Parts: sequence; structure tokens; C-alpha cells
Amino acid sequence: MSNLRLPERPGEVIDRGTPLSFTWNGKSFTGHRGDTIASALTANGVEVFARSMKYKRKRGIMTADHWDPNLFVQVGDEPNVRAGSRRLEAGMQVSAQNVWPNLNFDVGTANQVVGRFLSSGFYYKTFMRPKWFWHNVYQRVLRKFAPGGRIHWETSTHGAYDKRYAHPDVLVAGGGPAGMAAAVSAAEADAKVMLVEHEPELGGHLRWGDADDLAALAELRSAVDAHPNIEVLLDSTVTGRYDHNWVAVMQRSHDIAPERLVKARVGSLVVAPGLIERPYVFSGNDTPGVMLSGAARRLINLWAVKPGSKAVVLSANPEGDAVIADLEAAGVEIVAALDARAGDDIAEVKGSGRVSKVVLGDGRTVDADLVVTATGWTAPTSLLNMAGDRPVYDPSAARYFPNQVPDNVLATGGITGNGSTAELAAHGTATGTLAANRALRLRHARRAAASRARSPEGPRPEVLEDTRTPLARVPHPECYLSSGANAKKGMVDYSEDVAAKDLVQAAGEGFDSIELMKRYTTVTMGPTQGKLETVNAAAVLAKARQMEMVDIGTTVWRPPYAPISLGALAGRIFEPVRRSALQDWHDAHGAAPLLAGQWVRPDHYGDPMGEALNVRENVGIIDVTPLGKLDLRGPDVTKLLELVYVNKWQKLDIGRVRYGTMVAEDGVVSDDGVTGRLGEDHYLMTTTSSGAGAVWEMLEDYLQTYRPEWDVHVTAVTGGLTSINVAGPKSRELLLRLVDGVDLSPEAFPYFNVRRGTVAGVEDCIIWRIGFTGELSYEVHVPSGHALHVWEALLANGEDLGIKPFGVESQRILRLEKGHYIVGQDTDGLTKAPSAGLGGLVKLDKPDTLGLPELKAAYERTDLPVLVAVQPDDPQLVPTEADQIVDGDSNRILGRITSSRMSPTLGRSVCLGQVDPSLAAAGTSVTILLVDGRRTTGTVQEHHAHVDPEGVRQNV
Amino acid sequence: MPTSIPRGCDRMSDFKSPITAGTVTAADGSVAVADETATAKVVVRAAAGTAAATDLGVGFGESRLRADGTLVCGTRPEEWTLFAGLERAGELAASIDTTGFVSVLDITHGRAMIRVSGPKAAKVLEKVCNVDLSDDMTPDGAVFSASVAKVTCDLLRSDRDGEPSYLISCERSFGGYLHAALADACTEFGATLPAGLGIH
Repeated sequence: MSNLRLPERPGEVIDRGTPLSFTWNGKSFTGHRGDTIASALTANGVEVFARSMKYKRKRGIMTADHWDPNLFVQVGDEPNVRAGSRRLEAGMQVSAQNVWPNLNFDVGTANQVVGRFLSSGFYYKTFMRPKWFWHNVYQRVLRKFAPGGRIHWETSTHGAYDKRYAHPDVLVAGGGPAGMAAAVSAAEADAKVMLVEHEPELGGHLRWGDADDLAALAELRSAVDAHPNIEVLLDSTVTGRYDHNWVAVMQRSHDIAPERLVKARVGSLVVAPGLIERPYVFSGNDTPGVMLSGAARRLINLWAVKPGSKAVVLSANPEGDAVIADLEAAGVEIVAALDARAGDDIAEVKGSGRVSKVVLGDGRTVDADLVVTATGWTAPTSLLNMAGDRPVYDPSAARYFPNQVPDNVLATGGITGNGSTAELAAHGTATGTLAANRALRLRHARRAAASRARSPEGPRPEVLEDTRTPLARVPHPECYLSSGANAKKGMVDYSEDVAAKDLVQAAGEGFDSIELMKRYTTVTMGPTQGKLETVNAAAVLAKARQMEMVDIGTTVWRPPYAPISLGALAGRIFEPVRRSALQDWHDAHGAAPLLAGQWVRPDHYGDPMGEALNVRENVGIIDVTPLGKLDLRGPDVTKLLELVYVNKWQKLDIGRVRYGTMVAEDGVVSDDGVTGRLGEDHYLMTTTSSGAGAVWEMLEDYLQTYRPEWDVHVTAVTGGLTSINVAGPKSRELLLRLVDGVDLSPEAFPYFNVRRGTVAGVEDCIIWRIGFTGELSYEVHVPSGHALHVWEALLANGEDLGIKPFGVESQRILRLEKGHYIVGQDTDGLTKAPSAGLGGLVKLDKPDTLGLPELKAAYERTDLPVLVAVQPDDPQLVPTEADQIVDGDSNRILGRITSSRMSPTLGRSVCLGQVDPSLAAAGTSVTILLVDGRRTTGTVQEHHAHVDPEGVRQNV
Repeated sequence: MPTSIPRGCDRMSDFKSPITAGTVTAADGSVAVADETATAKVVVRAAAGTAAATDLGVGFGESRLRADGTLVCGTRPEEWTLFAGLERAGELAASIDTTGFVSVLDITHGRAMIRVSGPKAAKVLEKVCNVDLSDDMTPDGAVFSASVAKVTCDLLRSDRDGEPSYLISCERSFGGYLHAALADACTEFGATLPAGLGIH
């Protein structure tokens, strides 16, 4: 490989004292710190970096920056790395992606031979029939050719991605001369500024300019560096602007993560992205060795790399003229300097793997290995589009210009017009001042409105009028499509392998609106997202339809401005987990974890059946902290309870507990629980674990909107009160050893009562005589900071009583044996109150209850499903929950099993189920369709409870 | 009857926090995440015009440190949270004039509390909390509610020795997770997490 590194250049960014070794397709190379992957490879003589997507044509450097469509490579296990902007690092293993078997010889080149069959709409036309071929053949083959590198997720060493939030007054998108000047002036106006530049250095085109440019760059950079109000994000891209200036920034190359998404709430957004140089469409324009003037100047001046030996230059602007001087300074022979303004043209480029000959517009053919074009600029108006702008094409300047944007979005720099460095900076300065004014006015208003903020020190800043002098629109020829005979073979979209002829064909087939053509041909739909292709595509279509460019329109740029890794969108994974004060104990004692919503709970301690039996025989304790708990205070609590529960609450004495069910406005059961009265105006409501948040929100909703005149305070106390259910025939005996201040005798403390007392020395505990298991049981609510003490005290003091902890699974067995239903399991989103077996609980004569009209209607119906207990006739067979109950002869669905377990108490399977009312009578035989297709039968029971339907055990 | 476990329970020494990991600090000391759950917390809800509302004397979004060391925070409209030493919960609750529609509730056990402090405290929080923490929008003493690492929290900026410091309280059961999430956010600034502490 040859060494194309030039002697030191004035503005070079490489550190020649720091060589870096790396590999390219397995071969070792050396570059320097500051090189991009592409510049380092080019310095080593590499000319071909990739194969095109469809035709597998060899591709070389085109723009030598972040937007280069030909420089997507694989680095280690990371695909789609942009070699035009990714800085070289020692030890990088770089390889070409999507080539087979290798970059130099790819079997996919056969597509070039059949290329005429692969034109627009090829996929739509070809892979329609036969239908079954799609899944079995087409899809599998096409996937082999899918671009995008390879993800080695099994061995990936990628760390987590990251996110952060930011609230700058002014965010400047683009760190060229105008952007830097805007940042400095905004900062000097006391605005907090975030300056975002997608290259690893500030400066824009000044970086590869002449001595004057470099001097101006140094001055602007030092001004930026010196200002403490400016935060600079390099190697970062503003990818989207959303409502109210919610701006997304993708920050690359950060120490904490390979990519970081910055979500910024911005006062004023300054759009200063500069201009993107546009390729020229001619036959062979994708041959390695054909590049844009900016690429040649970057290679020479930033990385001191000689881009070729003999060059043809086609220039239509001063930047193109400047590249001639740079090439000559780099020792490149200029074999033809063509001036597009004077009508000069390139007809065709020839060469395989590298430019060898160039056919000029006048018919001459010259030998060359480098073709440099400078035929115009595309205004990257994406962020303006996202702010609602519809830029307008100006044929005299051959590019689009901003049209109308909201006050909090301002454009500056090359996107708005042309000018010297001083003129661009001056426009940027004026824009920065204006942006700061608008942002600081907004901040003033926010400070005045936010209760937490420091009150503004002075009056709101006066409105600053927009008196900026617009930048000039310098005339530029419309150079899009070569006049050469084969020009339509030229590529318009390098990422998608879409040539001009494909667009012409699409227009001929009727896809002649720019938006339709885009979708039919996929032009602008590759990873460069139209930055290089959009305007050329519109120009080709305009020519095909013989229309003016201004009438063709453009496709709409939507977020993201540049592709974003899915990992970056995910960021770090925040999944809140709730743990009771006892969960560490459960973990340490072998509990199987059960994830229930956000809670981690003990499912069982190894023997759920044994744990359940122990509750029936001795005493068990279970941590039921996730049970929702709402502290209700105020003189109007009763009114609230009357409203949200289906039953009546007027006559609940202090110390008494009542069960209640809630329904939504459609009469569907939404939650249930018990509520106890602790004092004159003080109640404690319990809810289901999963419904705690929703019930709290619903109560607040009603109190804050519908019934603001009611005096009720609701406070969620779920985690603050650790709930321990002590269940079993020996539970009272155990608590007698530990409870002070409460008479536990059945006469003084009967079922469905609540008391306050001291448990194991812990004051302020709440003791409920309730239960879900059907046994004598008490639920002890302990201030959570002392919960472990109480739990351990219960275990230690109950040792001789046979105490064991039990988990959620055992509780589910016990409650099913007792026939207690669970909202959400034995009911669903359609279950109205009559189907939940609530019987006389529901009072339809109340003046108001949530869902009352629906309840009344529901209770007049006779066709609603009924909740029943079912026992399979095969006592050892446990149907799966959700097994269907069907007609005996057919598969007509007549219900379903909602809960099923093997009962250790009865030694047989037990179920709850929702059934058609015709099957609800006790003794009815039902047919259950099992998961495996078999049928079995079961018998409807008289009571929901399979065990102790009379309630003897819990009422002792 | 076994008596191996003493029935007495010392309110102070036996108080268990949901956060078991110790303080996480950046290597250069620029930020620290510490557990301050063992603090008395009393929530007062009082209608406007009540003696309690007048006595508490701070508006929504504001806070003040009383001479007796009690921190009074205007947590929400017509709602205050009082913080003091763990042993003072009862005293705090009893100090409120409950004339009128006033509720006083000891939530000492119901909330975990974490302090994030140091010059880079705001940098840590801006990784997990979308609130403008600049000095003018969120000055020392500011009280607000926000999502922190997807957990609903009450926050108080309570600077110490001239350095930014934020007290964050959340529902107790989230405490361990929130501490881990905040500690994770500190790794960017040089903190090393204790074994077993992390969110991934």
C-alpha cells in the first residue's frame, strides 16, 4: 500500500506524534490520533471501502464526513460505523460490511449484469407471486442481501447507553462560524447556551479553509471556550425538534456510553447547520475517485492526505475554485479545470474500482484518477421542517431557503444565505442576541409562574425586534444532471442504488409526485436520509415532467435528522422495583421471588402445599405489604365511601371493618377491599395490591374535581405500614404473647373489627381481625421501620406453635379453598357486579354510587355469567386457569375456569369459574375443554367456599 | 413460652431503612448519595385560612428552617411536610394546631429519603430527572415534585456549606431501587458502586 500522507498542513488535526495501529479486513495499518477511519485508510492507499447495496458496485470516499454514503463499516462488533467521522482508535478492527465473500470480489456483482431487471418497483413487481414463495424462499434469500452489518449481540462488549436532560436557554445546532458567533452573543446576553456540533471539532468549513479562515476559527473558538455560559457538545447531532422546543441531541463518543440521548427543553433553537455539498449526476459518478470538493479539501487540509494524482475538477462556485489551489498545493496534477458557470461539463467517468478516464462535456477524454465536483449546496432544513417550515426553492441560487418558522426557532449561517466569514459571524451574532432575548423573556415568565423558582429580579426584557440584515443569495447555476448522453445512469441515491433512470421510469409509470416517487423507488430512504439526494431527485423528476423545480416540491424531512441507535433511545433501563421491609428476609430464607407489578414478593419458601396446610393446622405468617392502604381523614369520608363502594357505609362504628367492592362507571368490578374506622373522622381503606394506585387516583379525582366541597384528605400509606397476616387456628394464641393494649378475646375483638395496639413492643400498630384464608386470622400493620423486628418476634414466639412463613402461592390456594374471588383474576374487564357473586352486597337504593345506573341495569338482566365453584369429577385433575367451559357436544363456549389449584386440605382439585346462568345451579355438570383438547367434567358447588362454607373456622 | 426475642423495641436504634447500601461517593468527592431515611417526617394538610396553614408560614414550592431545626416544606397546595430528627416525630405532630379541617400524619415509616449533594449533584440528577435545576429556577429552599428514575418523588433543594444538595423522598418501598438508580448515575462522575448495587 502506498503512503499518501502529505507534509504538515496548517490546519491539520492529526497528531503525528501519536501513531495508532489498526486493521482493515484483517490487514494491519497505522494512522494517527485525529484521523478518521476513512482518512487513515486513504492515507494508506485504500480506495474501495464498501459495495453498494443492490448492484454491489465498488464505492470510495464521496464526502469524507459524517454523511458519506459509502463509508459505513463494521468496527469489531459494532455495525454501521461512519468511517467518515468516527475517529481512529488504537487496535480498531475495521472491516467492510455486507460483502461476500470479500470486498474485492463480491458475488453480488452479478446484479449489475441483470441490472435492467432490478429497476424501480422491482420488489413490488417480482416478489408478489407465487404467494407461498414469499415466506419460504424470497424472504430468506433477500435477508442474505440486507445491508446494515452484523450485530454480534452474544459477544457484544457494548455497555449500556445513556440519557440526560438539559434546559438551555438557547441551543445552537451547528458549530460553524455563524453558530459559534450566535452561541457567544447569546451567552454574552446572559443566556445559558448549548452548542452542538456533529463533527469532533468546532469550525465548520473554516477548518479546511485558508489562513484567514483558520485565524477566524481560532478567534471564534477561543471566544466559545472562554465563556462559562456555553456548554459545547462535539461529535453530537441535533436529531429532532418537537413541540415547545423539545429537542433531541445524540451525543456520540462520550466516556459514559457509546451514544447518549440528550433531551433538551430549549428556550430558543438556533438552526445553523451550514450547507451540505450536493453530488453531480453523471454516468459513473459513484466510481471510487469521484468526490465532492469538500471531501478533497478535508482530506488535504484536515488529515494531510493526497486524494489522487491526476484530477479533473468541475466547479460552479468559489469553493470549487478553492479546491484547485488545495489540490495543486498537495501535488495533484489538474488535468482539466472545468467551469460549470461557463458551460463546462463532465459527460462520463470510466474506471473499475477507480477512476481511469473522464469524458468531458466537449467530447474530449482525459486520463485521471480523481474527479472533484463542486456543483452546489443543499440546505439541510430538517429542523426547520420539524418546526413547521416549508422551505422555498430559489432557482437563482439553486437551493432552498427557510420560509416561515415560529419565534422560538431562528436560522442563521449558510442555510439562510451566502457571505464572508465576517458576514456569517455577524449574522450569527445578531441571531444569538435575538435568540437570547426571546429565551430570557420566556425564562422570566417561567420564573414568575413557577412556585419554586426565585422571583425575577427585574422587569421582563423588552421585545427585541428582528433587525438582522439578511445574508445575500449569491447566484448559482442549477447543476443537477449532466448533459452527457448516459447521464441518466448516474446515481442519485448512493445508499439505495437508485439511478436517475430509475426515477425517470417511476415518473413514467405514474409515480410522478415526489412523495410517491420516493416510496416507489426508495430514493432518499437510505441512511443519508436525503441529505445528498433530495434536491437531485426533485431536479430529475422536474426534468422528466418538464416542470420547474419550484413546482415539484420536496419530500418532508422528519425526525430523526440522523439515524439513532435503538439502544440510545432505550438509554439506561429504569424499572422501578418495590420491596417490602421484609423482602430481604424473604430472600435470605429461600423465598422464590414473584414479580407482581412493580413488587417483588415471596411466592413460596419451597413447599407451598405444606405452607398452606400449616396455616390450616397451626399458624402461618405472610407478608402482604403490597396490599393498598389509604389513610382517609375528614368529616366527609363516609360520603366518599358511599360514592365509591357499592354497599352502604353510614353506620360503621369505630373499631368496625366492612368489606366493599368498587365498580367503574360502566358497572364493571374494578377493585375491592376492607375499610376500617379508626376514629370519628379517620378510616383506613385497603385495596387490591395491583389496584392501589388507580384507586388512589380515582379518589383524588373525585375529591378534586367532582366533589371539591367534601372535606377528605387521602394519604397513601402502603409502604409505610408493613402488613403481616397471621393466620391459623393458633394465631390468637401467638398474638396473645406479643400484643399489648388490645383485648384479643373473641367477645372483645370479633371478626371484622380493627384495633390499635402494641405488637412485640412496637407501638402504633393496627390489628385487623380479617383474613383471606378462611382461618382465624389477624392482619397486623406495623410501622415499616420496625417490621423486621415484629416479623422475627412472631417467628420466634410461635416456634412451639408450629409457625411457618407462607407465600403468595399458599395464600392463593387457601383463598380458593375458601372461595374468595380475586378482582382481575376471577373477574375481567367485562365482569359486572352480578357476575362477581356479590349478591346482597350491592345496594341499589343509594342516592349515588359510581356506576349506579349500570348496576341497576345489570341487576335486571338474567343473561350475565355467574361466578361459581366447580370441582372436577376427576379429583386429581387440575384444569388450567382460563380453560373453557363448553357445551357438552360442541365447542360452544359457556364459561371458563378462572382459578384452579390442588387443595391440600381436601386432597382434590378445586376451581372457581364464570359460567352461563343456565349452568349456575348447584349440582350442574359442566364440560371443561382442557388445553390439550381433552374434555373433562366438573360439578358446580352450592357455595363458593370448598372448605368451611359456614365460616366456623374464621369466626372462633 | 419462648422469650428469646425481647418484646421491647427501641424506636431509634431499631429503625430499619429500606436502603441497605452505604453512602456512594465520587472519587473526587464531587457528589455523594446518602441515605437519610431515618428522619422524622410528618405531613400536614390544612385548608387555607386555618391556624395550621398560617403557622407553617411557607407557600407551595417553598421551605424554611425553623429555629428548632425543623424543616418545613410546602410540598403541594395546602400540604406541608415537616422534617426533623427521628426522635421528634411525635413532637412535630403534636405541635400542629388542628383547629378546622387539618390532618396530621406521621409518615416517617412511609417514605425513604436520599440526599444527593456536592458540586455535581445537579449533573447527577439531570440524568434521571427532567426538571430545570438551575439556580434561578430551583434555588436553595425550592420544593417540588418530579419523576426521578421513573419514581414519583418530592424534592427539596437544601444546600449545605454553600454546595448544592437535594433531599429526595419517595414511597418507602422504592427506596432501595431509587438509591441504586442515583448511585448508578454517579458512576459517570467517578463513583464506584458497592458489589450488588446496580440497576442492570
